[in-house]
Amino acid sequence: MASGHAGKTLHRMRRDNAFYLAIAPFLVVFLVFSVFPVIFSLYLGFNRWDGFSDPQWVGFENYARALRDPVFQKAIGNTIFMWFWSTVLTVLLALVIAVLVNDYVAFGKSYFRMVFLLPLLVAPAIAAIVLRMFFSANGGIVNLLSGAMSGTPSYFDWLGSEAWIKPLVVLLVIWRWTGWYIIIFMAALQSIPRDIYEAARMDGVGRWAIFSRITLPLLLPAIAFATITATLGGLQMFDEPYVLTQGMGGTNNSATTLGMYLFATAFTRLNFGLGSAVSWYIFAAVVILTLVYQAGLKRLRGASA
Amino acid sequence: MMQMLRNREKRFNLVITLVLLALSIFFILPLYWTAVFATRTLNEVFQFPPPLWFGDNIVQNYRNIEAVFPPFRPILNSLIVAVPKTIGLVLVSALAGYGLARYTRAPGHKMILVVTFATLFFPPSLALIPFFLQMNALGWLNTYWPLIIPALASGFGVVWMYTYIGSTVPKELYEASEMDGAKGLSTFFFVVLPIIRPGLAALSVWTLISTWNDFQIPLVVLSDGSKFTVPLALTTLSTTHYSDMPAVMLATLMGLVPVFILFGLLSRQFIAGLTAGSVK
Repeated sequence: MASGHAGKTLHRMRRDNAFYLAIAPFLVVFLVFSVFPVIFSLYLGFNRWDGFSDPQWVGFENYARALRDPVFQKAIGNTIFMWFWSTVLTVLLALVIAVLVNDYVAFGKSYFRMVFLLPLLVAPAIAAIVLRMFFSANGGIVNLLSGAMSGTPSYFDWLGSEAWIKPLVVLLVIWRWTGWYIIIFMAALQSIPRDIYEAARMDGVGRWAIFSRITLPLLLPAIAFATITATLGGLQMFDEPYVLTQGMGGTNNSATTLGMYLFATAFTRLNFGLGSAVSWYIFAAVVILTLVYQAGLKRLRGASA
Repeated sequence: MMQMLRNREKRFNLVITLVLLALSIFFILPLYWTAVFATRTLNEVFQFPPPLWFGDNIVQNYRNIEAVFPPFRPILNSLIVAVPKTIGLVLVSALAGYGLARYTRAPGHKMILVVTFATLFFPPSLALIPFFLQMNALGWLNTYWPLIIPALASGFGVVWMYTYIGSTVPKELYEASEMDGAKGLSTFFFVVLPIIRPGLAALSVWTLISTWNDFQIPLVVLSDGSKFTVPLALTTLSTTHYSDMPAVMLATLMGLVPVFILFGLLSRQFIAGLTAGSVK
């Protein structure tokens, strides 16, 4: 007879065999195609490998090399710019719209609940094609409008401009994603009990005070969720800048993100080790920012309690 | 006094509604204009002021696309990928979610649950390179397998089904079903599956739409143009034939229509899928 504990575990496993049957399909695919690649990526980061010859162990050289590369440095700056502005603006705009639709809209509530969501159905790659219709140098709608207003035809190359390409990527993200956060905030607003508001109004609390003292603190978890998801997406941004710059990263890499740098390193220059090192830098950034948000949320909750 | 206050409030609400209405136009204008341009000639598109209403050149624009590439092929390709992936992902997720929601005391339960939740915070870019190498080693590059098989294990899908089953299926039902002599997974197939249909529908719509919109993985895996899915095919078309803007816009519109039909039919489930993550 096996010793008590192991015997019990074995007995339980036999009793719960349906559990293992149920999770087996997920677990097998998950281990083979998610866990294994991530572990392999860790190994790759310490090697130099072009996919053909034997991998060569180089220690932290890939990590150091990435940092020395001016394009990588630029990609960090670009990614921070796009992540920061797209996150702040989408979440803020969505918050404002959600609160206004929920509390102040006089008619057509269901219209507003739907219309902001439509851009989310459009693939980022397709949305980028549509945005190019607006901003292309030749025949773009924006140039047509500005040309007509100033009287002289305008051929400004928005997408080739180093100054404009990053804000345009951010604009694309705002257009596509705001609706998603609106839905999340509306769901959170609906879960706040009505009588809290009525009690506050009876006590003569003003609109702004109700918003800042009641609504906002109760929305904090939803805001945190939205910010973290926006950050996860923002740090890995790829589709939008890739299609807007036709895969080139813009003039002088002005729109090259870390995701695009990773992609080019691995699949254009066949440097799988360096690319993997970059993917771990992205992972580190995600972990650090998530921890920062969580700490911030805890403090805010402590302050409002 | 009270009446006046209410009127002022009403007027304020009206102003807010109008401002939001104007803002909402910004969100649909690009889509509307895509549709308008798809029906116009190249000359009309470059005119000032740009056309605001539909034209009658849609047939010619369609012929122009057809001359460059078969326009329904990418839609078919996207369906070949999205339909089996969605069915498989939803089934695998529901099974795992059921296992995790019911057998909370099975050895290994907690660890699997924690790891599954943790994967939600793993950036997909971390696995991109080894994924490519793995597909290469399996000989799966330039086939649809890499877009279907690895995607069957979705952390989001399992978490969503686990939460859904945990909150909709009462524990007593499992006991009752066991008393009736249900063995193995028969409780899942005959008792649980019919109950959780709304949860399955929400996950299906969400998976279908995000698969339809996927760009990076198909870009890495597919090299043969005739196998391209919709976003990939449109991106290629728009970079090579951008001078024919109306034709490109018509192709873009065609790539959007299936998603919009799906959304029209199942918008409620789609929104349920969207809010799933935030309401916990």
